[in-house]
Amino acid sequence: MKLDSKIPDGPMAEKWTNHKFKVKLVNPSNKRKHTVIVVGTGLAGASAAATMAELGYVVDAFTYSDSPRRAHSIAAQGGINAAKNYPHDGDSVYRLFYDTVKGGDFRSREANVYRLAEVSNQIIDHCVAQGVPFAREYGGYLANRSFGGAQVSRTFYARGQTGQQLLLGAYGALSKEIKKGGVTMHTRSEVVDIVVIDGQARGIISRNLVTGELTRHEADAVVLATGGYGNVYYLSTNAMNCNASAAWRAYKKGAAFANPCYTQIHPTCIPMHGEYQSKLSLMSESLRNDGRIWVPKKKGDTRPANDIPEDERDYYLERKYPSFGNLVPRDLASRNAKMVCDEGRGVGSTGNAVYLDFAEAIERLGRDNIEAKYGNLFEMYERIMDEDPYTVPMKIYPAIHYAMGGLWVDYNLMTSLPGLYAIGECNFSDHGANRLGASALMQGLADGYFVLPNTINDYLASAEIPTVGTDHAAFAEAEKTAQDKLDKLLAVKGSRTVDDFHRELGKLLWENCGMARTEEGLREALEKIPKLREEFWKNVNVPGSAEDLNQALEKANRVADFMEFAELLVRDALNRAESCGGHFRVESQTDEGEALRNDDEFAYVAAWEFQGLEKEPVLHKEELVFEEVKLSQRSYK
Amino acid sequence: MNIMQTVLSSIGQKVLLATTGLIMFLLFLIPHMLGNILFLFGPDLFNSYAAHLHKLVPVVVGIEVLMLVSIIAHMNTGIRIAVANYLSAGKRESLKSTPERSLAARLMPWTGAMIFIFIAKHLFDFTLGVDKMQVELNGHMVDDVYGMVYAYFQNPGNVLFYLLFMVAVGFHLSHALQSALQTYGLYIPREGSKIKLLSKFVAIAMASTFAIIPISALIYFYY
Amino acid sequence: MAEKINVTLKVWRQAQGEKTGRFETYQAADIDTDASFLEMLDIVNEGLTLSGIEPIAFEHDCREGICGCCGAVVNGKTHGSHERTTLCQLHMRKFKNNDQIVIEPFRAKPFTIIKDLIVDRSGLDAIIREGGYVEVKTGNAPEASTTPIQKELAEAAMDAAECIGCGACVAACPNGAAMLFVSAKVSQYALLPQGHPERTRRALDMVNKMDELGFGSCSNEYECAVACPKGIDVKNIARLNREFIKASLMS
Repeated sequence: MKLDSKIPDGPMAEKWTNHKFKVKLVNPSNKRKHTVIVVGTGLAGASAAATMAELGYVVDAFTYSDSPRRAHSIAAQGGINAAKNYPHDGDSVYRLFYDTVKGGDFRSREANVYRLAEVSNQIIDHCVAQGVPFAREYGGYLANRSFGGAQVSRTFYARGQTGQQLLLGAYGALSKEIKKGGVTMHTRSEVVDIVVIDGQARGIISRNLVTGELTRHEADAVVLATGGYGNVYYLSTNAMNCNASAAWRAYKKGAAFANPCYTQIHPTCIPMHGEYQSKLSLMSESLRNDGRIWVPKKKGDTRPANDIPEDERDYYLERKYPSFGNLVPRDLASRNAKMVCDEGRGVGSTGNAVYLDFAEAIERLGRDNIEAKYGNLFEMYERIMDEDPYTVPMKIYPAIHYAMGGLWVDYNLMTSLPGLYAIGECNFSDHGANRLGASALMQGLADGYFVLPNTINDYLASAEIPTVGTDHAAFAEAEKTAQDKLDKLLAVKGSRTVDDFHRELGKLLWENCGMARTEEGLREALEKIPKLREEFWKNVNVPGSAEDLNQALEKANRVADFMEFAELLVRDALNRAESCGGHFRVESQTDEGEALRNDDEFAYVAAWEFQGLEKEPVLHKEELVFEEVKLSQRSYK
Repeated sequence: MNIMQTVLSSIGQKVLLATTGLIMFLLFLIPHMLGNILFLFGPDLFNSYAAHLHKLVPVVVGIEVLMLVSIIAHMNTGIRIAVANYLSAGKRESLKSTPERSLAARLMPWTGAMIFIFIAKHLFDFTLGVDKMQVELNGHMVDDVYGMVYAYFQNPGNVLFYLLFMVAVGFHLSHALQSALQTYGLYIPREGSKIKLLSKFVAIAMASTFAIIPISALIYFYY
Repeated sequence: MAEKINVTLKVWRQAQGEKTGRFETYQAADIDTDASFLEMLDIVNEGLTLSGIEPIAFEHDCREGICGCCGAVVNGKTHGSHERTTLCQLHMRKFKNNDQIVIEPFRAKPFTIIKDLIVDRSGLDAIIREGGYVEVKTGNAPEASTTPIQKELAEAAMDAAECIGCGACVAACPNGAAMLFVSAKVSQYALLPQGHPERTRRALDMVNKMDELGFGSCSNEYECAVACPKGIDVKNIARLNREFIKASLMS
């Protein structure tokens, strides 16, 4: 495998424009001869499917949900960035590009990031035209707010439901194309394999989640918009059904997987409170604008928060980072929370939480003001925790939130498997080792509305794509493999449930490959994961049949993939013996305990190529070249 | 989209139901109630009113035809909606209604059916099924409507029947009035709506006013 | 503070393809009151799995109250409470030790039961396809700040746009009507200038589709608004009525 990033020549600001001119186009009357499969209907998938159908391609879209509107993009709260510079505060495409590269801790591809910043403004234009009800000022113009990692206000928002509103916009566009016949929508359909013929991705095998029937779908290109792999940790802020299966099957069929160790851990989540817990809930990052984070100075202090006097509290972020205080980037806030909890100073019933205290802010600004700013978040907190955050400090703890890593893609968003594309969170491209707030929505929609529909034509117009028919042996084989796997899962009839295994895997990863990673811990995980996987296949209990709606089977099929994927994640973390962004290697830190990058050895994208489960994957390095943004160590002291 | 399609749509049906209901309310129920009040002022005035009404034949017949059409359309639409809604809901095992759903709203089809039975019986009792006595009024012989009504309500069974149906009318109206306005697109908020209150007030006031005749006839008789 | 409770579940079980189902009784023992309702079901399901009984099928995904997947009638109430809460955000502290909890799927004629508590809500998507969007192709859009929109209108549009499409309004409606759902979408675009070119067509087509699919009609009883976990108001239904009547007169 040879990775060719296909970064266009020329000055950074002209690359995308030049590239759009240079790629081959498909003539309008020929577009209807090309079928494209889009897997996933979140922001990236829905927008890509709709836009490609508008262009005239025949699109088949798939979602495991009962409706495209349910994808987890819907849960994004904060907002979407764009370089509009409406607040007149010095923003520009270049600044957004710069902030994103720096925020990503210099592990992203400059050309991709620049393009992202460039199309960000078009996204806002398009979404407004769709009737997305963005927040507005009294004058009727669009409002902006600030987010972490930037000194300008460039975030557009629709209350705390920006993701929902953008997704409903994309879902509307998709609905319009379904109605017109350009998109055939397959709901309650999960992709169980990618079909590769003569080195090209030529279709998928999907499973109807109601009838259990496996069906074959042929296409000229396959687009994966299947989101991130955060659920490999069992507990995350991802939706329950989010999974890595499609991306993992693609990897096993020849697509390289890049930087799986870059996982974002969000500092302000509601802490875990018991074994039974199924998922974690995120509280918006904006809370750190007014909340003060602290733990007791004394270890094992079990007094209620309000009984601990001021001089016995440790406002550790304010103490360690006087200039940024509670507003340090996500990775720092998360890691420091873990450190104080590891010291035994954590609070709450599990000791795995820190306080986020609004008492001072309420005194300063008044309760009404705080209620106006954060009322809905406080309400949500109270509902889950049964405590009033106006009078008792919130308890928070970091949680897995987003995957910066994903399938390796070139500038055209094509994976290393010809004809297979990956967009949105599913690919690795734009966020480097750490994603800034309000950038995920931007990337998903940039890929779907504006990038992929302008790059997929290059492949469709130039590649030799013969019609093969779904009777082709490769389809039959993929279908049989999928069926065999399902049958095998059902046949084990062991004594442990799927969740039980998933929980164990998650715990293992969280402890050994979570917020702070050591070589020793990673090696231990690398040993334990295959053993757990082996036990899974010997002892899992999947009830029911494969010819029925069987949620346990769906889950087992996904967890089986997580059992394999986890190993790659750990291997990548072990390989990257530096700290950067969301990946903190304990061995690589400054004297003050800050993350220490090693640009000489690790300024590359680690793209892994599958060699068979029993063999180590091959590491391909895409060297990262920084022409515009000079490499520098981040400091928030 | 043609007009039939609009009328047959769910909202169209509701508009039709509201409109025919309002026609009956405005052109029949209110004038009838006002006429009934005259009963309290004794036989002469009441019989004279009845006699004058009979002279306005073209208007009365016009209204009667309009009423007939409205009743048929109202009932037809009402039954269609009720049946369609019953089928749409499907069989629910455990779902409970909330206080939001007033008793009046819940009973709409039933109070509607009761009112129909009442109207039929009422027409038979007072218009079609009786030979009216004549009485002299200002030198002319006129129908003794007053006497007929008075005699009719000497039977406590008839009073009870009548009152029962006035309760149905009250319930029906209290939901119907506000519901019709919301159907026309007027926003009736869930809480603190003055129109909801007014709707209830009008319903109770009208039902009570109608109830005055039998009660006063009964009291007069026993007194 | 969290404590442990025992509850008895009466859950609607209906195998795939079965015409009707029945309530089955299960015990949920030692449930932490801090657990969510769906986590309680997870625990029950693990127990059922290990004792050889098929777990209860129920739909869920984000568990944050926004995706609209989850939903059931719990003790007679849609989503189990009428406090602007989806089922996934309901917690066991709302129940007492030894409570009996009756769980039934969302029912309406257009919501056929697929299995246990899972119903087919694709009708709601079918209605949206008839015009629940602004027809703008990618690339068509003018600069976003070209048209200022009155803040009050934008806020009112957002109030309507908060609908999560869970179907509780349909399940709570004594008529199985989807008026609140349809009205929320029609309102969003009736309030915003972007939606005006297709205003007439949208109201007519969406209502027609709603009727065609067998949803009931509105008898203005407002059960939907009580049930809505996002607090969508019935003023949207009044607006839909206006939009529809206006559209009918104009077409």
